[in-house]
Amino acid sequence: MRVELADEVREGRAVALRDRDVSPETVAAAVREGEWIDCPEPGAVHERVSPVTADASPSVRPALAAAARSRGLTSPVDDALADARAELAAIDPPPIDHEAARKRVAEAGEREAALDERVAELRGRIDALAGRDGEPGDATDERAAAIRELSEVRTERVAAEQALRDAREAARAARDARDRRLRLEDRVRNLRSAAREHLSAAVAEPFADAVAAVPGEGRVADEPAGFEGDPVTAALAVVRVAAVDAPVVLACDRFDSAAAAADTLDAPVLTV
Amino acid sequence: MLLVVTYSQAARQTLRNACSSHEGTVVRRFGRAALFEETELGALLALRLREKHGGDVQVERTEPFNEFADAPAAVREAAAAYEARDAPSTPYPKFAAGTEHPSPERLRDREL
Repeated sequence: MRVELADEVREGRAVALRDRDVSPETVAAAVREGEWIDCPEPGAVHERVSPVTADASPSVRPALAAAARSRGLTSPVDDALADARAELAAIDPPPIDHEAARKRVAEAGEREAALDERVAELRGRIDALAGRDGEPGDATDERAAAIRELSEVRTERVAAEQALRDAREAARAARDARDRRLRLEDRVRNLRSAAREHLSAAVAEPFADAVAAVPGEGRVADEPAGFEGDPVTAALAVVRVAAVDAPVVLACDRFDSAAAAADTLDAPVLTV
Repeated sequence: MLLVVTYSQAARQTLRNACSSHEGTVVRRFGRAALFEETELGALLALRLREKHGGDVQVERTEPFNEFADAPAAVREAAAAYEARDAPSTPYPKFAAGTEHPSPERLRDREL
């Protein structure tokens, strides 16, 4: 790797930046983006463990699974996982939104009920006037107008209900697609977990050796590939198990020098 | 009651959380669906879920089914007679053919 600082260039498999005022996160970002650190692209192992800081707490099994993949190992469910992911990516369920249609039905229904009541009320007034030999003239006109309006609103309500029925029918297909998506998401999750189990178990032995080889407290527990102890130890052991080309950022006091760390971890390192 | 069905992992998780913190309003929980009490609180929970997850949440209103009020006698009798049939392998269409029990086609076309 080649690290271009403002006033000098540092090169090699082990580069110390402990004399510089840079944070582990800044250096890890530079490794990803390649702006002032020229190196191979980091991978899944880096995502899981780099930078290794004193308060790091990597999830050991997923990190170990990534390390196993970096060594070229595969799991028996990889093909099924790729298929499920591809199928999932191809699903794009259409939106479901009946809110406007529901509102239209409710509003038409309310107006219809109000007009119904108005027509009945006018009918009562006309009857009362007729009983007293009064002139129902205005009330009769009003009632005729209300009846016309009622018939319009009724037509609108029926149309609104039909539109909502159509929308609900169309939503069925959209919900089928969402059903399929949910089932695939569950499948992907289960397959990923199965792949992780398989891969981490496949490197359980090298991991146990690595835990013993790197400095720090910790031991393998809950076999295969479980860990109990200092998380920094686990992170370092994962790096030692992994085959990484891009530098791992170390911000922990476990090694005398960057070169010693690179030797023990068998990986390019940047110490900060 | 209000039937709430979810169609994504996130919506399903929110429904689970809502069910655990509002047990009094939840009549029954299924995997990714639940029945809420038909109260305004039930409606609030259902609407909050829909607000958060849009089309990934379906809300329906359900009613108890009373076969004596809601289904015709012919349907009740056909169900009872079919479940008491002699040969378990006889499919319903064959069972109903030539009897007074309604055919599946007729049943399909008639709304309750």
